[in-house]
Amino acid sequence: MKQQWHELMLRSRAIFVKRRMEKEMAEELAFHQAMLKEKLVRQGASHEEAERTARLRFGDGRRWHERLRELWQFRWLENLRRDLKYSLRVLRKSPGFTCVAILTLALGVGANTTVFSIINGLLLRPLPVPESDRLVVLGIAQDQPNPSYSFPEPLFRALESRHEAFSSVFASFSTEADVKADTGTERARLQMVSGDFFSGLEVAPLMGRVLTRADDSKGGSPAGFAAVISDSFWQRWFNRASNVVGQKIRVDNTVFTVVGVMPKRFMGVNPLERPEIFVPLAAEPAMDGAQNLTTAGLHAWWLNTMARLQPGVSPAQANAQVEAASQSILRERAPDANWLSKREGEHFHFVAEPGSAGFTYIRLIFRKPLVAVFAMCGGVLLLACLNLASLLMARGAARQKELATKLSMGATRGRLIQQLLLESLLISLAGTAAGLAVAPAIGESLSALLLGGQTEINIDTRLDLRVFAFAALVSLAATLLVGLVPALQATSSGLNEQMKQGQHTTQAQERNRMLPRVMMAFEVALALMLVVGAGLLTSSLVKLYRSGAGFDPRGLESIAISMDHQALRGEALMQFYRQVGEELARQPGVKAVSWQWVVPLAHMTWDESFYAPGGKEEDIHENSIAPDYFKTMRLPMFGGRDFRWNDRAASGQKIIINQAAANLLLPGRNPLGQVLSKKDKGKVIPYEIVGVVGDAKYEDIRQAAPPTIYHPMTQADAEQPPSFNAVVRLEGGSGELASAARAIVQKINPEIPAPKISSMETMVDESLSAERTMALLSGFFALCALMVTAIGLYGTLAYATARRTAEIGIRMALGAKRMQVARMVFAQNSAVALAGSAAGLACALLGSKLLSSFLYGTSVRDPWIFAGAIVVLALIASAASLLPALRAARIEPVRAIRCE
Amino acid sequence: MESIHDSGDLIPGTLEMLILKALYRGPQHGYAVAEWIQGTSQQVLKVEEGALYPALHRMELRGLLKARWGTSENNRRAKFYDLTAEGHKQLHTESRRWARLSSAVAFVMQAS
Repeated sequence: MKQQWHELMLRSRAIFVKRRMEKEMAEELAFHQAMLKEKLVRQGASHEEAERTARLRFGDGRRWHERLRELWQFRWLENLRRDLKYSLRVLRKSPGFTCVAILTLALGVGANTTVFSIINGLLLRPLPVPESDRLVVLGIAQDQPNPSYSFPEPLFRALESRHEAFSSVFASFSTEADVKADTGTERARLQMVSGDFFSGLEVAPLMGRVLTRADDSKGGSPAGFAAVISDSFWQRWFNRASNVVGQKIRVDNTVFTVVGVMPKRFMGVNPLERPEIFVPLAAEPAMDGAQNLTTAGLHAWWLNTMARLQPGVSPAQANAQVEAASQSILRERAPDANWLSKREGEHFHFVAEPGSAGFTYIRLIFRKPLVAVFAMCGGVLLLACLNLASLLMARGAARQKELATKLSMGATRGRLIQQLLLESLLISLAGTAAGLAVAPAIGESLSALLLGGQTEINIDTRLDLRVFAFAALVSLAATLLVGLVPALQATSSGLNEQMKQGQHTTQAQERNRMLPRVMMAFEVALALMLVVGAGLLTSSLVKLYRSGAGFDPRGLESIAISMDHQALRGEALMQFYRQVGEELARQPGVKAVSWQWVVPLAHMTWDESFYAPGGKEEDIHENSIAPDYFKTMRLPMFGGRDFRWNDRAASGQKIIINQAAANLLLPGRNPLGQVLSKKDKGKVIPYEIVGVVGDAKYEDIRQAAPPTIYHPMTQADAEQPPSFNAVVRLEGGSGELASAARAIVQKINPEIPAPKISSMETMVDESLSAERTMALLSGFFALCALMVTAIGLYGTLAYATARRTAEIGIRMALGAKRMQVARMVFAQNSAVALAGSAAGLACALLGSKLLSSFLYGTSVRDPWIFAGAIVVLALIASAASLLPALRAARIEPVRAIRCE
Repeated sequence: MESIHDSGDLIPGTLEMLILKALYRGPQHGYAVAEWIQGTSQQVLKVEEGALYPALHRMELRGLLKARWGTSENNRRAKFYDLTAEGHKQLHTESRRWARLSSAVAFVMQAS
């Protein structure tokens, strides 16, 4: 034991003083030789004789050194070094195989990990706050598949004051705001937060203080409203001035005093948003005016609510507690029995979910797609491994003769296996390194694509090292395992036979060649499934865009004008809107202008119950609009007339209904001139239908257009808030519209806040972001899959063909035509591709059902997409087979046979 | 004259034992070890350099000997080997084993 230890120590030391040791060995021997010669000379021999005798006795000096050196080194280390050198030489000698293998790994490990990292960064990474695992996200479950995560202010306040399971409950609302400076106005990302927001997250400010409950009270603290700013805003706005605390900022026409600056790593509760200014929730009425969300009470669902668990309480216990508390909170806050019974009918209750990753709206959209994306990630990784496996096996089969030769020359089985494994290891290391090299570029371009130019969102595209390590390990294990197969096969008994037979096919080899082909077929199947999936999702997205909103969002701008603080009402207000509309219509590029109260797709709903004579009451969506609305929105008018500015309340309530409402309330009847009724506080109000228009989406583009009634804004009752949104149909850019709108409004009344302009097209895009992302990601994965498959098909066929060089040579010598040879080689991959496609088709048909919940207006068995995917794969397979086939056709028979 | 090709061939470990014995008198370089064995055995045991140096290095590795560079009797730089405590112990065991073995062999050979 002691002696072995001594050996180990000395040998380890010898690694580092190798040069000196070599020199000393030589010196020691030289000394011995010199002494010997001296003795011989002393005994009477001549110098020449002494020289010769010494040389004879010692033989070749190098062999001496070799023997001594072997003593001092670790044998395995030395073998490893030699194998490494040899493996590198072997890999360099077959650059095709090496490149293909490395490329496969780079795609499979690098690209795949990048996507996973982005998603992981988006959705799974815990918030950088203390004990983020004690955070929960609160939601509201009703009779819907997914809970909703938007709370009305009263329900949140009710939860905030209860503390059973939570040490604090806090809410936030993200928006954008105008920050006014002397030089002009800038937009900033704003987050309205409740009093316990910062204490709940347990974050300390960089300087100053955080917002507290005292700030979140009506009118703010006695000193007015307080605000906390982010590090980036401190930089941007205050140039990191040290006296920032105490300074005033004017946000959305409300003055705030900066009380603190948050550290850089603090990002609020949404990793994507990174708000710049945090203001108390209580400031919302002041900022948003009369049409504010706080006063809207139970009609406005806007607050994202989170909570921090009491120590020792699990999310499941908290969930049970909030669910149990739901009833009493509802009862406490319900405005009337009707509302309460409606909620209870929908099985309304609160839920608490683990929320360590914070509140990400995208995550909520992605709840299901996430699983699909992970499945796709796994699919591509599997594909890459399969590819490598089949390549290595094809290569292993091709190298059996070489291995057999080595064995017969005295190489041990163990050494041979070690050497082959080393080769595999080198490939996987190189591939992983290549993947690491391409990852950042892919990450950035992909996140840029994902966000589609939305600069207010930040995605952390850093590679998640754990995920990368996982993917690398999987591929490494796969490579090693697969590398082992040919090594074992080659070193099994009966090899001498194979060596004798050379390239001539034997049954055993035939079998060996089958496995890579089966794997390739499997790969084709997998790729087909991924392509089909991508096709279905893309087609669904295209259909969503095409089916669209009903109205045409392209070139449609919505301009919100806040009139809540103005005294204008009734006739004068209408006059104002009419005037602004006319001025807007005169702007360059403006084709049509109208007004609407509810902006479609903004997730705002206004609905009441109406009934036709003799019919039952139905829940109908409503909107209040100006003349020319349908022309501006490009909604078709099926009959009747548009509203007019002189449709006054006095002339009786007029309405225009959409096709869906006509079908629901007046099936089979001509709706024009019919009267719908609404019960209101015991009275029955009649509404005369003067027109029928095409359907348009209301809250959500994925939902069917609801039955909708349009009221003329000129007949709006006094209770309706006076702020309307202009809709402007543009041709050309919207560049000047914002400033023009501001100027127009300012000219009429400087008191009116600057109008907010938003593009309806962007709203449609945003509302489809989940679908877009899914389509994009699946497209990306399908592309990866296609590339990997092409590489694999090419690689295995090229190998198999190279092995058959002699056979092909003989065939050609016997009169086979070049075309025939090419066809024969080509047919090999065709068979593989065919079998794979058939299997893939079957699996895709079965598996595509899983996608059905993501698809809109697309059958999970859309024949065009399936056919298209097969065509794409056939093309890829053909392209991959062409080169080996052509190469086979160019074989010179004489040379090929002589090779043998 | 009979020479021993590789002492290890005759009885395993014999060369090592002889080296230990040669170094018992004090540090020596390889050439002196070979000379001493040869001389002391009256030219019966001829130690081949091809066996001697690997054996010396192996024993150094195992910690039986320690090596140090010094100056030889004719003022050359030479590598001197010396017994370690472990080497002394090994020599002791080896000589006892050898005594037992050789007398046993002698008994057998002298049997009538």
